[in-house]
Amino acid sequence: MADHKKNPMKVFMNGLITENPTFSLMLGMCPTLAITTAAMNGVGMGLATTAVLVCSNLFISLMRNIISDKIRIPAFIVIIASFVTIIDMCMKAYLPDLSASLGMYIPLIVVNCIIFARAEAFAFKNGPVASIADGLGMGLGFTWAITLLSAIRELFGNGTIFGVQIMPAAYQPMAIMTKVPGGFITLGLLLALVAAIRKAIAKHSAGKEAKA
Amino acid sequence: MFQKRLFPGGIHPHKGVNGKAVTGVKPIVDAPAPARVVIPMGQHIGAPAKPVVKKGDLVKVGQLIGEANGFVSANVHASVSGKVAAVQNCVLANGMESVAVVIDNDFQDEWVELTPAEKPEHLNGEQLVEIVRNAGIVGMGGAGFPTAVKLKVDTAKSAPDYLIINGSECEPYLTADHRLMVENPDKIIDGIRIVMLALNIKEAIIGVENNKPDAIEALRAAATENIKVMALPVRYPEGGEKQLVYATTRRKVPTGGLPLAVGCVVVNVGTIFAIDEAVRLGKPLVSRITSVGGLVNEPGNYRVRIGATVEQLLDACGGLQDGAVKLLSGGPMMGAAISRTDIPVTKATSGIIALGKEAVEPEESPCIRCGRCMRACPMNLAPAKIDAAMRMDNYEAAEKVGAMNCIECGCCTFVCPAKRSLTQSCRTAKKVINTRRKQAAAKKEG
Amino acid sequence: MQKLAVTSSPHLRAKASTRSIMLDVCIALIPAGVAGCYWFGLRAALLIALCVGTCVASEWLYQVITKQKVTVGDFSAVVTGLLLAYNLPANAPWWIAVIGSFLAIVLVKQIFGGLGCNFMNPTLAARAILFISWGTIMASYPVASGNFVADAATGATALATINGGSVGNVTILNQFIGNCGGVLGETCKAAILLGGIYLLLRGVISWHIPVSFIATAFICYLIKDGAEIALLQVLSGGMLLGAFFMATDYVTSPVTNAGKIIFGIGCGFFLFVIRAFASYPEGCSFAILFMNVVAPLIDKLCAPKAFGEVKKHG
Repeated sequence: MADHKKNPMKVFMNGLITENPTFSLMLGMCPTLAITTAAMNGVGMGLATTAVLVCSNLFISLMRNIISDKIRIPAFIVIIASFVTIIDMCMKAYLPDLSASLGMYIPLIVVNCIIFARAEAFAFKNGPVASIADGLGMGLGFTWAITLLSAIRELFGNGTIFGVQIMPAAYQPMAIMTKVPGGFITLGLLLALVAAIRKAIAKHSAGKEAKA
Repeated sequence: MFQKRLFPGGIHPHKGVNGKAVTGVKPIVDAPAPARVVIPMGQHIGAPAKPVVKKGDLVKVGQLIGEANGFVSANVHASVSGKVAAVQNCVLANGMESVAVVIDNDFQDEWVELTPAEKPEHLNGEQLVEIVRNAGIVGMGGAGFPTAVKLKVDTAKSAPDYLIINGSECEPYLTADHRLMVENPDKIIDGIRIVMLALNIKEAIIGVENNKPDAIEALRAAATENIKVMALPVRYPEGGEKQLVYATTRRKVPTGGLPLAVGCVVVNVGTIFAIDEAVRLGKPLVSRITSVGGLVNEPGNYRVRIGATVEQLLDACGGLQDGAVKLLSGGPMMGAAISRTDIPVTKATSGIIALGKEAVEPEESPCIRCGRCMRACPMNLAPAKIDAAMRMDNYEAAEKVGAMNCIECGCCTFVCPAKRSLTQSCRTAKKVINTRRKQAAAKKEG
Repeated sequence: MQKLAVTSSPHLRAKASTRSIMLDVCIALIPAGVAGCYWFGLRAALLIALCVGTCVASEWLYQVITKQKVTVGDFSAVVTGLLLAYNLPANAPWWIAVIGSFLAIVLVKQIFGGLGCNFMNPTLAARAILFISWGTIMASYPVASGNFVADAATGATALATINGGSVGNVTILNQFIGNCGGVLGETCKAAILLGGIYLLLRGVISWHIPVSFIATAFICYLIKDGAEIALLQVLSGGMLLGAFFMATDYVTSPVTNAGKIIFGIGCGFFLFVIRAFASYPEGCSFAILFMNVVAPLIDKLCAPKAFGEVKKHG
């Protein structure tokens, strides 16, 4: 973590790819499985989480010297809950459809593990610039991961992506993909794929090193 | 198929293999005396004997050439008369090396003076153990455990309830014990009586698999009243010590324990025969009956001098047939495959078996969890679990699922439809766990 | 002299192999397939061929792509294909068969490590996915017509009638010979029993799972609805096919006899619960799938005690 301190770009990429919250840290599984039935949901949930994450990371980082160690968890909750409430209200005002389809899961961002984990593991120990980069990286990493997940589920479960018909008209939607088991199956397959890619990359770079 | 089972698990490896039928009817004949014998000092479980002759010495048949080296060890005697050609290393059937005394046969067959026991019926336990020890007798069923150690029972404290004689000979192809029982029932019964009297045992049971009706009949005709001949259903490994004790007395030998813990002493018929010869005639163990079967030209049962090489024995049987791909010392279930024929026959060599392409190691495939290995295991273990633990080098897990109880009978590998070498995994597990235990014990002491 | 091979003992092997076991299962499944073709017409045969073909092809393709040893020769994919076909309505469209076979082999079996590593029965898991995804197709059962002729009409199954607790027009004879609605391989109970007995005699399966499975379900219904309904329940739906061919799948059932009995009782009980109280008329697949997941725990519970072991420490 120490070497990330001075390079916000590295911190950002770390969250986006290397330590992607969904595919490598396995955080925030509850919304990941629950709302990824349509691609739009994934984008909405991801961006809402990102907004909360960036703001909470920034504030916690700024206040890290004031907050006492012993009461840091309640302090985190207060900060996070405030931003969640703001985002929730904004979405209800300006994006009522999306807000309705995400339902309870927007208020539940309060207890999203990603936000807590980043507050505890990063923002509480690092400066505000790095913390914003971390929040942005982790948030967008989460966003693209669940968008991918929900796009796949929407494609097979509904024949569409972002509501646009992709599959031929004769396609009979595979209903299980939009149900909970479909979420588990898709996530499992994506995790396996990511693991396979990582292995291939590691093998490739190991081969390169051996040559050099 | 619907025979009553007398112990858990077990298999029928004889199906489609009529090796026993071929040699079971062949009387025991003397194998021609070899021109040179290689007598290993380590033919038994325990410390190898210490050679007491040197190159150039003249020896007679029955002369002590190797002295027991410690409590669990056994004497070794010359099996031919002649001149010691060398004291050198030789390779044994299990691939290990052992010091051996090489003797060039002068074909005089001159014996040392034999001193039979004076009153065979009035020996006490200690005297019997002494005779057995001097005669260098070891378990002749295949394991080669020094018999003197086995018979050392504190009769004053508690006499064993049963003397159990293992005549089951459950391995396919092997018929050496079978022929011995058919041809020498009187000597076997006599040997049993001597041991019973000496160790103060009231009852003896001879367990014989019921595929040897002639042996059962012969023994029954010779038996006295407190010696029972029990016909046992054919099921490998009927001759396993714990399985035999359970089959004959319904007593379960506790895990990690010896039959003596449940008041039983188990001795092989071949061993009993050797004890009788040692007591009545004063003869040390210098020859044994070995079955030569499978793809050899003249299969049969031969009385072989200890130290004759496999090659000499095969020559006496007309050599191997075409198509023999594997040569075994011992039976097909527990015997060791040998790659060379200059290996000597030892006190524990119950057979030399040549197998064809049916013995080629098949290709293994993934475990399908059919549970056949568990049902076949006579020790009620889960060989597939031990195998799985071994493949992950997890010896703790292997020990936890009972790897140390394995008797290496081979039933699991035999039945496995995925053709996995489960027995070998158990064997490796036992070896590693034993080594680790020893290391741990040494660490504690040091 | 020939070169002598050296391997560890034992040097003899039993004849039964994975392949011979799977072939036995295939043979045992033939009567039910023939009966399916008789009652539902030759389209049933096409469906069977399609499922088997796709299963074998998927396994081959997956193993080639992932550079593994190709093991289609062990016939396990054929068994999966046959059983999947037997679990489809005879009038199911071709793509249902193809998707189902692909899911069974690739998603449920190969991704978890191939033969021996799947934690659920591939056939049943694939069927469950198909059932949830395309419920209307999977639950529209053609009417049995006989003489290898297909009937376009669909109708209610016996279960829909007798789950209510009344016999209606359902007869034991029709249920037994297969003159009833249902998926293509499950209707003719006589053919399934024939195959089941063959497997029992060949020693491929033991009696523990089928007997405890069927007995438990029968007893539950005996208490709830009486003897006639209980018998009809046993002869309806997929209970016999499941009890003999799918619950007995080695990989996903316990290995010890005691474990098998617990497993069978569980299957029978949950089948009863689902049929009697849940919204699905048929609960066989879900009952077995549920017990599949529990099987490792049952195995742990029923771990054998070594011969002569007096007391277990710890």
